[in-house]
Amino acid sequence: MIKRWRKVFNKRYQQWITRRLPPIKKIRLDNRKLFIFPTRAGFVFFALLVLLWLIATNFENNLIFAFTFLLTSLFIIDVFHTFLNLSGLQIEGGRATPGFAGQSAEFEYLLSQTGKRQRYSIEFSHPGVDPAVVSLAGKEIKAIYLSIPVKRRGWFQAQRITVKSVYPLGLLRVWTYLQFDTQALVYPGVIDAPLPTQIAAGQGDKPLPQNYVAHNSGSEDFVGLEKYRLGESLHHIAWKQFAREQGLQTKHYADAIDDELWLDWASLPGMDSEARLSRLCAWALCFSEAPQPYGLRLPDLEIAPGTGRSHRDAVLRELALFGLPKAAGEKA
Amino acid sequence: MRPLWQIPRNSLFWLLLSVVISIALHLEHLPPWVALAGIVATLWQIQLYRERWRQPGRLLKWSLAGACAGGLFLHYGRMNGLEPMVALLLSGYSLKLLELHHKRDALVLIYLSYLIIILQSLFSTTIVSSLLVLIALLPVTAALVAMHGATENTRPVAALRTGLAMLLQAIPLMLVLFIVMPRIGSLWAIPQKTSATTGVSDSMSPGDMTKLGRSGKIAFRVEFDGPIPAQSQLYWRGLVFSGFDGRRWDQQGSWGYNDGKYLQWSDQGLEAWDSVIKRRGEPLSYRVTLEATNSPWLFALSTPLSPSPSVALSRDFRLVNKNPVNAKLQYSVKSWLNNQLEPKSLVGWRHKLELALPSGFNPKTRETAKQWREQTPDTVALINRLLALYHQEFIYTLRPPALGKHTVDEFLWGTKKGFCEFYASSFVFFMRAAGVPARVVVGYQGGERHPTENYLLVHQYDAHAWAEVWIEGSGWLRVDPTAAVAPERIEMSFADFFSEQDDFLSASPFALERLRHINWLNHLRLKLDSLDYAWAKWVLGYENIQNDLLLSLLGAINPQRIALFLLLAGGIALLPIFIMLYLSREKNTRDELDRLFLQYCSRLEKMGLPRQSGEGPRDFAQRISRCAPGLTEAVEHLTELYESARYGEEQEAEIKAFKTALRGFKPSRKVLLSST
Repeated sequence: MIKRWRKVFNKRYQQWITRRLPPIKKIRLDNRKLFIFPTRAGFVFFALLVLLWLIATNFENNLIFAFTFLLTSLFIIDVFHTFLNLSGLQIEGGRATPGFAGQSAEFEYLLSQTGKRQRYSIEFSHPGVDPAVVSLAGKEIKAIYLSIPVKRRGWFQAQRITVKSVYPLGLLRVWTYLQFDTQALVYPGVIDAPLPTQIAAGQGDKPLPQNYVAHNSGSEDFVGLEKYRLGESLHHIAWKQFAREQGLQTKHYADAIDDELWLDWASLPGMDSEARLSRLCAWALCFSEAPQPYGLRLPDLEIAPGTGRSHRDAVLRELALFGLPKAAGEKA
Repeated sequence: MRPLWQIPRNSLFWLLLSVVISIALHLEHLPPWVALAGIVATLWQIQLYRERWRQPGRLLKWSLAGACAGGLFLHYGRMNGLEPMVALLLSGYSLKLLELHHKRDALVLIYLSYLIIILQSLFSTTIVSSLLVLIALLPVTAALVAMHGATENTRPVAALRTGLAMLLQAIPLMLVLFIVMPRIGSLWAIPQKTSATTGVSDSMSPGDMTKLGRSGKIAFRVEFDGPIPAQSQLYWRGLVFSGFDGRRWDQQGSWGYNDGKYLQWSDQGLEAWDSVIKRRGEPLSYRVTLEATNSPWLFALSTPLSPSPSVALSRDFRLVNKNPVNAKLQYSVKSWLNNQLEPKSLVGWRHKLELALPSGFNPKTRETAKQWREQTPDTVALINRLLALYHQEFIYTLRPPALGKHTVDEFLWGTKKGFCEFYASSFVFFMRAAGVPARVVVGYQGGERHPTENYLLVHQYDAHAWAEVWIEGSGWLRVDPTAAVAPERIEMSFADFFSEQDDFLSASPFALERLRHINWLNHLRLKLDSLDYAWAKWVLGYENIQNDLLLSLLGAINPQRIALFLLLAGGIALLPIFIMLYLSREKNTRDELDRLFLQYCSRLEKMGLPRQSGEGPRDFAQRISRCAPGLTEAVEHLTELYESARYGEEQEAEIKAFKTALRGFKPSRKVLLSST
């Protein structure tokens, strides 16, 4: 029952926060966006004030009263100082560096101010991430990065980040939640032991991709047998092995192409699409280190062979977005 | 083992400094080894930080804690006093320094530093020590700032500067709170500090007063509402001694009254004993600021009344405080100098008490007293005859010869040299022997008038003993035999009378008072004293004047007015902060530009040229130049400025240009008419 109420409350709270702080590109923090409340240390400090007050009252000692009131005033002054440490700060959602599923994507936030104030120990945090702390001095622009773990490929929008500060006395916390509209592209997760090692094994012990792409449709060099999966062409079934009662296996061949490599969807039969994409992604990373141009063939798309960073990014982007609805955050 | 968390270097610096300072502040009333333990812990923590030494083991830490507690118990013999408690707190605090594993530990230490430093005010309330406490709060605040401050800026000075700024900003608000916040008085019994003080004690033997005569310490200060009465009127009664054992006078008769108690508290109605007191004329009102005496009795002129609920009037018409006076105490008193005490009759047992004499002492005095009584039956004449004897043959001195068993006999018929207690004692003994009820009164006499401030300083050397005799019909009469010996002593101040004698102030060799004949030093001494008195009056005894002060500030004291005052004064106190807030408020340039543009539009609208919705500034300008060609130039200029402000690089400067241009843009209908 309580759980349900909490759930309802949480949902309402999230809605309220979203309404109050909608996703944005750039924000200037001011009193409408900042929240302030004592920290636990602040409550302990308050207890200290009560204790001092009791001592002053009981000993009827006006000096202790004076010092108690001095610390009380310090607490009150601290409200302003803590608030001013964040107020007027401008935060802009910067670039988001793409990441691979299962790893993390790096989000950049740019801090700036029009004034010259020194701001100390501003903490950026996101659920499940070590907070990043930054200080700002004068009219500079500072970038802060949060590596946020990503699970699935596609477009990823970070959750609300929390920007908070307890400077200078740690008695009060001023904070805000920010939801930037920045999205990071998440590439498919890279799966280890990718097929190119099989190719490599066929070629001796050259470690990385050579002029081969494994597939089972070509006919040049036989690279090995794999267990038959439903839907594979009957032409490639290794009947000899079947006759030796070693089960149904298919013959796989690699094409030797001197100039062009293809990352081919169709070369990975019998896997689900995520697994294929993961492998293609791993290969793409390998190939991008080699000088030969490589291309990508997906069921509904083909990228002509090429080299270079932008080519690699284009290939990875297609792998990341393959099969996802375009509307889900496609950006120009 | 490396700790998981490490305190920032600059914070550690300030924290260690705070620890050393808090120990130093309490050094005076601390066993020296506690201070030593604190210093060792500090050094250990420094070595820990430098990774030279290792963390003390659990066993070592626990045995250290045990040793501290045991040592303190051995040192004090008890744990419930103020000093042992502070010492325990301090030793635990020092040991905590060896356990800085988490941020929490450092915070505990910082908060404890605040507490321990402020607790110093329980032990000393002088201006100097309060200033020291105030200064000591600075490194603690700096440690707190450094804990939460920048990770990259590890210079200790930066944290100190922030801490100092914050403390300075907090002071105005503190003053407001200090003035307004009500003091509700002690809530429960508390351990008191125990320390020796000089002052009048609860018994009197020959030589006691003489000792006080050598001390130049302040006993109390008095501020009168009107002019200060003549020196010879200023008999500050403190104690009344009715019991005598041959050598020592002490208090008697504090029970046995069947018409009420011995002490009457002012909140229980002071009229209770009106039947035994006759007060005449206008009372003197004054405030006494008493130094700590560690005793409950207060000093006042006869016959006093005090409105304070913690002050009682005793049956012998003295004022008694509820608790021993452990710190400066201020109380206001009304005194009727013109009075009669118990004029009608003395109860039988009291009559007997005031006549009682120990047997086997002073036979010669008893004998003489009986003879004199027969020769002089009138009591007043008898008194005068004895006083005349003193006047003719006796010497008033700070160096009286020692007396044997029969103190009064030896003094009256032998040495004939003595200080006030000798005269009071012998006089009362003689009167009792002659059948006149009499008692010794102890307190202070006279005082030093502050030349510039309107108050009186009463020193320990003003301590005095005199007599009261009871005469039927007149009640208790004050008789001061010292006045008969040395009338000048009563008429001028004690210091003026005795300043020639070597023994004067011999107990206070460094007292500025010894140099009172050097004019500028004397001036300096009195200036310092007036500062001290102001401190006592405005700060230490603030609760006594709080009511009057608030009343004169607010007109009436009620919650609404207090709240209003708190709000207003608090606002003023926070003004520097608000100004800082305002100055550092970063202008939102975009908003300002929008505002200016709307202003521009509304000026045109007033002329009947409203901007249509969705119309861009450029289109709007073109339409205006079509409708009102007279405005074309101005409007185009403004639009240009607006656009460059909106899309240009140097926003602030360009907004300013737009603003200035707009100020000059005052289109009137005339232009419109002339153009059409």
